[in-house]
Amino acid sequence: MALIPLASHFDGDFVIKLLPVDSENTMDEVAAAAATNVIGVHVFDQPGRTLRVRKQGADAPYGRSSTVAESGLEPTECIEIYFE
Amino acid sequence: MALLERAQWYDIARSTEWTPRYVTQDELFPPELSGGEGLPDEVWSTYDEPYKVSYREYVDIQRQKDAGAYSVKAALERADLYNKADPGWISILKEHYAAVAVVEYGASFQESRFVRWSKAPGMRNMATFGMLDEIRHGQIQLYFPHEYVSKDRQFEWSHAAMFTDNWVTLGARHFFDDVMMTRDAVSTSIFANFAFETGFTNLQFIGLSGDAAKAGDFTFSKLIQSIQSDEARHAQLGTPLLQMMIENGQREKAQKMIDISFWRSYRLFTVLSGIPMDYYVPLDVREASFKEFMEEWIVTQFMRSLEDLGLSKPWYWDIFLRDISEHHHGQQLGTYSWRPTLWWNPAAGVSPPERDWLEEKYPGWNDTFGKVWDVLIDNFANDRIDRTVPGTLPVICNVSQLPIVGTPSQTLRDISLVHEGRRYHFASEVDKWIFEDDPERYRHHKNLIDRFLGGDIQPADLGGVLEYMGLGVVGPGGDDAHGLAWVETYRKQLAKAG
Repeated sequence: MALIPLASHFDGDFVIKLLPVDSENTMDEVAAAAATNVIGVHVFDQPGRTLRVRKQGADAPYGRSSTVAESGLEPTECIEIYFE
Repeated sequence: MALLERAQWYDIARSTEWTPRYVTQDELFPPELSGGEGLPDEVWSTYDEPYKVSYREYVDIQRQKDAGAYSVKAALERADLYNKADPGWISILKEHYAAVAVVEYGASFQESRFVRWSKAPGMRNMATFGMLDEIRHGQIQLYFPHEYVSKDRQFEWSHAAMFTDNWVTLGARHFFDDVMMTRDAVSTSIFANFAFETGFTNLQFIGLSGDAAKAGDFTFSKLIQSIQSDEARHAQLGTPLLQMMIENGQREKAQKMIDISFWRSYRLFTVLSGIPMDYYVPLDVREASFKEFMEEWIVTQFMRSLEDLGLSKPWYWDIFLRDISEHHHGQQLGTYSWRPTLWWNPAAGVSPPERDWLEEKYPGWNDTFGKVWDVLIDNFANDRIDRTVPGTLPVICNVSQLPIVGTPSQTLRDISLVHEGRRYHFASEVDKWIFEDDPERYRHHKNLIDRFLGGDIQPADLGGVLEYMGLGVVGPGGDDAHGLAWVETYRKQLAKAG
């Protein structure tokens, strides 16, 4: 377990935000953590839709239950969070 | 005693030079301080300043300028502008004085370095006046806001801001240290006098002067006109140097200096000029949009000076033209959202008529930046104030020191690279290019987020960050300039809709 700060690019937001996560967090947990700083703050919620996480610029998202440690993301690397 | 006309003696006096006998030329003018490597010794005496003035003339003119500005201030002191002006205008004054006054004093050191280290006698002479100009600008812009300190402690920042680690200060200080305080005399003059002063002080001082007069703040209008008349003179210091470089085969080097300084100046002024012009100036007195000012003063006039010299537009011109329609809107959302971190009270500037104006000036604004404001407004109108300030920090550019912003779902992107094991973030391809061109210059600096993650800020929470930045220490942090009065319209719309 280790704290890893990431850069979070949430679709619909205007700014990249700092997102501290744990290396053992799943991507669903990462998306939920990112959402607390964005949904209802700078972006409206879209109920019923699922949030996915991918490395900025990647085509495919990470598996929802895969962890930060498994992703190989390095501190302050940027992830994109978007509604599927 | 009869005096000679200036033209009868000036050329002889300003070309006065000596040949050192006890030290070498490089000891007298060390290359790291004087610059101009590769330029032949004989060119320095050909430096021909476009603006000529004698000390007697200078003192007389400056005395008249000071008399004009101080007398307008004295005459209008009882007009109680502080209580009568729109709060958005008062925020402009707070932002301006704190970001500019002490920097002007720093500029007097910049000019004094020219006085000592420039190899061109004409430049040393002219820079003496530039040095006196900047001392005047520092003093007058500390004196004028002092009147307001007893009414509002946020005006304390006029003097204190540059001595704090507020994030806006970090951005301004990083920029001015880069272009004004840490380069040789030739480079500094091109970075600061030509690229920064010729274009961007015009934007801030002339652009805001018109808005000030219309807003009824004749004191500020007169003050910044008075300052700009000096800037317009000493900004010309860099032009003869550019000519000398171009004539001696250093066109590319000169172009790169302009390309770096132009972008760095522009990005800082999206916060210093862009936000106030499009969001803080009361709608009924706005003279033009930031984009329109940029098009007039920068795209047209500054580019004409480049063309006159045979130089080109910066390589990133297309990026720049798109950027003037978007970047400052992101910075407005950022500064407003993290308003407790500011030393002034930001105006939202998004009431229904203001949004119409923004949409007219920036077609598509409502569908992009406006959508983010919709969320903020929904929270305000439903009294969820705690949801209007994010619980985390923005990621900050390692060159501009500004939050990395962009048009939602269109251009927002983090650009990063790893240099010697450390990851750096950039708010644009241009900022990244500036870093890559000279990593040794920039790589050691830690931006606010680097300091936060590195444990320099304790406790590592919003309270710790605010205290680190001087909020609540120097003076109180920011809140909505109008006490959220503008939200009422939206609240009524909400009630009507049921």
